Amino acid sequence: MSLVSVNGLSISNKQKDIVKDISFQILKGEWLAIVGQSGSGKSLTSSAIGQLLGPNLRAAGNVSYEGMNLLELPPKKMRALRGTRISYIFQDYQGSFTPFHTIGRHFQEFLKTHLKLSKDVRKKKAEEALKDVGLQPEIYSRYPFQLSGGQLQRVSIALALLLEPDILIADEPTTALDSITSFKVLQLLEKLQQEKGCAILFITHDLRHVKNHADRILVMKEGEIVEQGEKRQVLDNPVHPYTKLLIEASSPLRKPATEKILEVAK
Amino acid sequence: METSESNSYRMRFKKILLIGALVVIAGIAVYTFLVLKYDPSFVNLEERLLPASLEHPLGTDHLGRDVLTRILLGSQLTVGYGFLALLLAVAIGVPFGIFAGFKGGIVDRILMRIADAFLSFPDTIVAIVLSGLLGAGIENLLIAIVIVKWVNYARLVRSTVVVERQKDYITMAKINGLSERRIMVKHLFPHLIGHVLVLASLDLGKIILLISSLSYIGLGAQPPAPEWGAMLNEARPYFQSVPELMVFPGLAIVTVVLFSNLLGDFLRDKFDVKKEVA
Repeated sequence: MSLVSVNGLSISNKQKDIVKDISFQILKGEWLAIVGQSGSGKSLTSSAIGQLLGPNLRAAGNVSYEGMNLLELPPKKMRALRGTRISYIFQDYQGSFTPFHTIGRHFQEFLKTHLKLSKDVRKKKAEEALKDVGLQPEIYSRYPFQLSGGQLQRVSIALALLLEPDILIADEPTTALDSITSFKVLQLLEKLQQEKGCAILFITHDLRHVKNHADRILVMKEGEIVEQGEKRQVLDNPVHPYTKLLIEASSPLRKPATEKILEVAK
Repeated sequence: METSESNSYRMRFKKILLIGALVVIAGIAVYTFLVLKYDPSFVNLEERLLPASLEHPLGTDHLGRDVLTRILLGSQLTVGYGFLALLLAVAIGVPFGIFAGFKGGIVDRILMRIADAFLSFPDTIVAIVLSGLLGAGIENLLIAIVIVKWVNYARLVRSTVVVERQKDYITMAKINGLSERRIMVKHLFPHLIGHVLVLASLDLGKIILLISSLSYIGLGAQPPAPEWGAMLNEARPYFQSVPELMVFPGLAIVTVVLFSNLLGDFLRDKFDVKKEVA
């Protein structure tokens, strides 16, 4: 069942089209990975879904979600959707937090915006969410710069999934993490996805991050989708030469290797 | 090692200076409230142009008014209006800059072109023209100064906001569904306090100079108001016979401007990001 369907989405700045007339669907509860190198327009695509493009970029086309076109939704309605139904996590975990606010304040502010709860209940909810992503509740009173990258990325996952959104858009969330930490974060994401049943739109430039978790893969190159399909089909029988190149570029990763990581991680 | 030691020494020196200045200001306040016994505009022609004495520590002017009294009460006018002008300029410029920078795109361009228009004339000239148009008087001078000065704050704030706006935490705040006003007030404004404070304290001196110099040429405070610049002007005809009359108000201006510059330097060092890293 299709949750979000993107039809003929184009994103352009004043000079040229950066994303050219792409169409795809995000199914309910699936893990869809968009793969492509830097500049292929994958991040912009994900930003356009939440109306997060900068003031100099324009999106045209249709992104339909529950009968609404997300591209043309009035700001007020969009704001109500963000965080509750559609949420994001980013690559830059350090920059995702306002530096002079504690982690707790981020939770407080977020919950206060969307729910009518007392301060204590909000705190309790935040601490539970922190526990869910494998962190100590004490983190609540810390500042972002006191935490490590892996911890911060877990906090952003906790925040993103706090209100059980329908779709989580993860824009290269593991790119800035070391391989063991990113492996753990991916596992956590998959576990939470199964618990909460949200769809994940996973943006990455690295097929290795996709191999174990994605259901479907979508390959982008220079603003166009060159290939999309089930994971096995794309990985085992790539049709487009660019997909073949991508797979070759990340070839050293085999199953035993991930097992090795697991062992080391233990 | 040595540089950091001399740096910390300089910081301490500045600190002592600042604390000293505060003590002096507090002392003056106490003096004006408790000891002051003359009316600043009381004319007594029998006591005109007296030299310094116990009765009149800084002597009297050409109308027999006590100079110390006038200088001390003048601080309320000069420094007080300076502060007020500064406050108004900040109160207009900062929200303007945050809004322009945060909105970006066409809104930013329109607002900033307006600001550029204000910037394209030199401060002093605009202030002179405006207070000339509005009529002489310290309130009009205040308006003129605010009109000239707010642009600096708008530009400073905007340039910082434009950089911060693109960072993920602002996007994250948007994603979390926070209202734009809340993002501007709670997430952006605290970043700017440091910059604004530094510019403001450096500006205070300039504003005071502007008030005094415009009053000197007769556009600001009108006699008998004991504004320092106006006092300088009144003392001008007696410059050769009683030079102290010009020296004391001049010294008062110099001192205040100097301290506001020192304060600015001090704050700038305090908020220096590079120091935090080291």
